[in-house]
Amino acid sequence: MEILDLGTAGYTGVLEKQIDLLNKRIAGEVPDTLIMVEHHPVVTLGRLGAESNAFDAEYFEKQNIPVVPSRRGGEITCHAPGQLVMYPVVDLKNRKKDVSFYIDFLERTVSASLNKIGVPAEHTPEERGVWVHEKKIAFIGIALKQWVTYHGISVNLNNDLDPFTRMDPCGRKGTRVTSAKECLAREVNMRETKKVFAEQFARDLEKAYGGIKLEEIWT
Amino acid sequence: MDIILPELSGKETEAVITAWHAKEEDPVTKDQDLLEVATDKATFDVPAPCDGTLVKILRKETEEVRAGEIIAEITES
Repeated sequence: MEILDLGTAGYTGVLEKQIDLLNKRIAGEVPDTLIMVEHHPVVTLGRLGAESNAFDAEYFEKQNIPVVPSRRGGEITCHAPGQLVMYPVVDLKNRKKDVSFYIDFLERTVSASLNKIGVPAEHTPEERGVWVHEKKIAFIGIALKQWVTYHGISVNLNNDLDPFTRMDPCGRKGTRVTSAKECLAREVNMRETKKVFAEQFARDLEKAYGGIKLEEIWT
Repeated sequence: MDIILPELSGKETEAVITAWHAKEEDPVTKDQDLLEVATDKATFDVPAPCDGTLVKILRKETEEVRAGEIIAEITES
């Protein structure tokens, strides 16, 4: 598996990179790859997000934050520097072909990584995403083509949370959000934190798709 | 040949058709993306199982379909 750290980059350019990797992964030309990136501020609308989501269009326009439709699953979310976005391009064709299992795996590996940096995050069976008590800290929206994954999960680390108060994240009214910075009352080191998430992801991918039950991995 | 919505998940058995990438009478090739379906947090492109012609679309955009349901018909070439 390879890790591709793109630093801070725009949403559209990274999407093009994802599609390129996706097609190469389908053709068997590249290994499974985890893209890690922080985006310039952007709001994205998933396939179930369309126009129905409540968001303060005027606020985002004034802030010069673009609103971009996306082919991922899910509804509305936003990205900004200080938020870690993980786009795994992983071939599930010859592995367990189950979308819910993959989403569980992503949520659990992010939750375990957050635990490692001291954030008491949880994956819950009731609600998608990763939560710290009643507040959401990670947001999921994926896509698959020929059982190869793209899009992924974003995790609030040091980013400003104000944009989330101007929308109903993931289309759920009244969803409160948090960040690692808010939970720990200090900023986290992005470089070191990315390393924690990447190592956890690589280990958990191996275990989750190696026949071990998900519940046994994280205990 | 029937185009069937594959089983995407052991938990979620329903998906919404969010886009058709081909229309009736279009020639299609094996593995070409025919349509996109979405569950709560995922989208999935359903590929053509063989070369042929898409003769009939049985379920349209915005319709909810279940795993195993026939959504279209292709005549094999």
